[in-house]
Amino acid sequence: MSFINEARKLLSENIRDYAMFVALFVIIGIFTVTTDGLFISSRNIVNLVNQTGYIAVLAVGMTLVIVIRHIDLSVGFLAGFLGAIAAIAMTSWGLPAYLAILLVLGFGILAGLLTSTLVAELGIPAFVATLAGWLGYRGALQLATRATGTIIISDEGFVAIGNGFIPDIGDIGILPETHKITLLLGLLAIILFVSGEIMARGRMREQGFEVLSTPIFVLKQVFVTALIGVIAWILAGYQGLSWTAVIILIVVLFYHFITTRTVLGRHIYAVGGNPEAAELSGISVKRITHVVFASMGMLAALSGILFAARLRSATTTAGTLFELDAIAAAFVGGVSAAGGVGNVVGSLIGALIMASLTNGMNLMQIDISYQYIVRALVLAAAVIFDVTTRRKGLIKG
Amino acid sequence: MVGNPATVPVRELDDPDPEVVREDHPYPFAIQEDISMSHSVENTPVVEMRSIKKNFAAVQALRGVDLALHHNEVLGLVGDNAAGKSTLMKVLSGAYHPDEGQILIEGKQVHFSNPMDARRQGIEMVYQDYALANNLDVVANVFMGREAVQLSLGPIRVMDFWRMEQETKSVLDRLKINIPSVRQKVERLSGGQRQAVAIARATAFDAKVIIMDEPTAALSVAAIEQVLELVRELKAQGASIIIISHRLEDIYQVSDRMIVLRQGRKVSDMSIEGDIHDFRERVVAYMIGARDDFADNTAT
Repeated sequence: MSFINEARKLLSENIRDYAMFVALFVIIGIFTVTTDGLFISSRNIVNLVNQTGYIAVLAVGMTLVIVIRHIDLSVGFLAGFLGAIAAIAMTSWGLPAYLAILLVLGFGILAGLLTSTLVAELGIPAFVATLAGWLGYRGALQLATRATGTIIISDEGFVAIGNGFIPDIGDIGILPETHKITLLLGLLAIILFVSGEIMARGRMREQGFEVLSTPIFVLKQVFVTALIGVIAWILAGYQGLSWTAVIILIVVLFYHFITTRTVLGRHIYAVGGNPEAAELSGISVKRITHVVFASMGMLAALSGILFAARLRSATTTAGTLFELDAIAAAFVGGVSAAGGVGNVVGSLIGALIMASLTNGMNLMQIDISYQYIVRALVLAAAVIFDVTTRRKGLIKG
Repeated sequence: MVGNPATVPVRELDDPDPEVVREDHPYPFAIQEDISMSHSVENTPVVEMRSIKKNFAAVQALRGVDLALHHNEVLGLVGDNAAGKSTLMKVLSGAYHPDEGQILIEGKQVHFSNPMDARRQGIEMVYQDYALANNLDVVANVFMGREAVQLSLGPIRVMDFWRMEQETKSVLDRLKINIPSVRQKVERLSGGQRQAVAIARATAFDAKVIIMDEPTAALSVAAIEQVLELVRELKAQGASIIIISHRLEDIYQVSDRMIVLRQGRKVSDMSIEGDIHDFRERVVAYMIGARDDFADNTAT
């Protein structure tokens, strides 16, 4: 197969995945030009990543919920409520930060299981069950913060989750003003990725699988190396990798692994593709529903923690509309409302696209009303693109 | 993988050359060795259902039906709507519990509490609507619910992609099913190919009996021929099959014997013989009740 043909085949098979990255790059490019480079500055990118964090983790959980053909509207106020609980646990109950975090993550799982019990055991449509959750957690958040109003969080360790950066080695004479550990981590990521790719390719070739041709393979490695390198360089230019970024990376890598490599992930997508067939194959649709909503609840708790840490406080309106931002991020990231389609990396990119739009338009001082309209157009365009590329790929049976 | 019943492999995969395996065991559905010694293999039916009764409220769906399927036999099951054929097969596949009657597999009485239970004992079902997840590839569908695992850490079980792919390829090869790539998503396959994948899935795991419920109902003429050819291929390789169809010509073409049900009773149990017109006339007469002379009738 010639280089051009192979490239074309790859493009047509993965157009939906590639298009998302292209869209992100185009958006970054446009804002970089319109803001005279302010958008791409180290400080703004770090800020952008931290702004994306609490939506990105929700979008990851929401991806799986939508994949199994449900929805969760309750996660925004659940995040706000659990953030408030974390703040109260530290300020009023005197719990150390790590215990408060564990406690709240546990509550998140319980809240998810409550939803999944309504959905899986009682057969209540997720839309209705989680709408009730949306109301309930909103009330709970107001109750929790009524006595005190905004709860200020003073625990430095907790606040660092939303504002802090990973430590760096001191001045060693080279690369002043840059975060050396971040660069080293970037280098490490590149080495791990490329060596992993090379080993996987060798193994697959040995076993007789079709692999990418050498030029395409090299091109892919060069592209990924450049991408990680540039991101690491930009982050290192300010204060390095933020803890929020570390958490996003861990969550996305973990969920990516679970969804692509494990039996559980396979079962989640099987349930999304055809619940009846999955059930007949011995997959418990109920069990998968419980697992997916429990994970959503836990990620809602994490989102609440990230948001409270970022604001250094729990507010009475924390979490408002987070759920819709997360759902929009998932759809922009290629999740299909019909179920069974979508992946967590896509949803992260979707969250970054939506956050970039807000961030970039804010820098350009565009009226908030127009911002909503632009974001609406991007969401609509993403879904239209998704539907048309999917239809074209199908052969009538 | 050990201790995980969902991922028990069927055939040894360690053998470097699948061709050799095939020569040693020409019939992947070859007769099990552990059946009772008192009967010879040929005489013990692989499945026997004895006077199965099933009521739904006031409706007697099955009024004492006997059915025997012998090794390497293709048994057609026909009847008008509501004759009870689907109910009978749902009893056999574990979806329904019979009110009365027994099920024996290779001479041993069994009870199925659910379809998975029946599957574990070698009863596989192929559905009219394929029962596939269209968003997943061929390999994932063949192994759905029985994924091969290479590493298990508590609830996290890492799949063995290579083994599942090799196994899928060899099943498809064995059944002479032609699908361009086993990594193709099922939504990109034609109807006939999808049904072939569903049949491949039913045969991939040491099935004793394959039940096909209207396997051709949703297919085009060309695809029907494809599926019938597949049934013949399975039979040639030693499989035991029950096929439900309202298309009498399908039954005529591939079955050795057929059972006609009418209003929850067995009204005929005959070998397939004669030309298709006589055959059709005879079957229709039993189906609509114009003829009712079955000797072994256990009607209530």
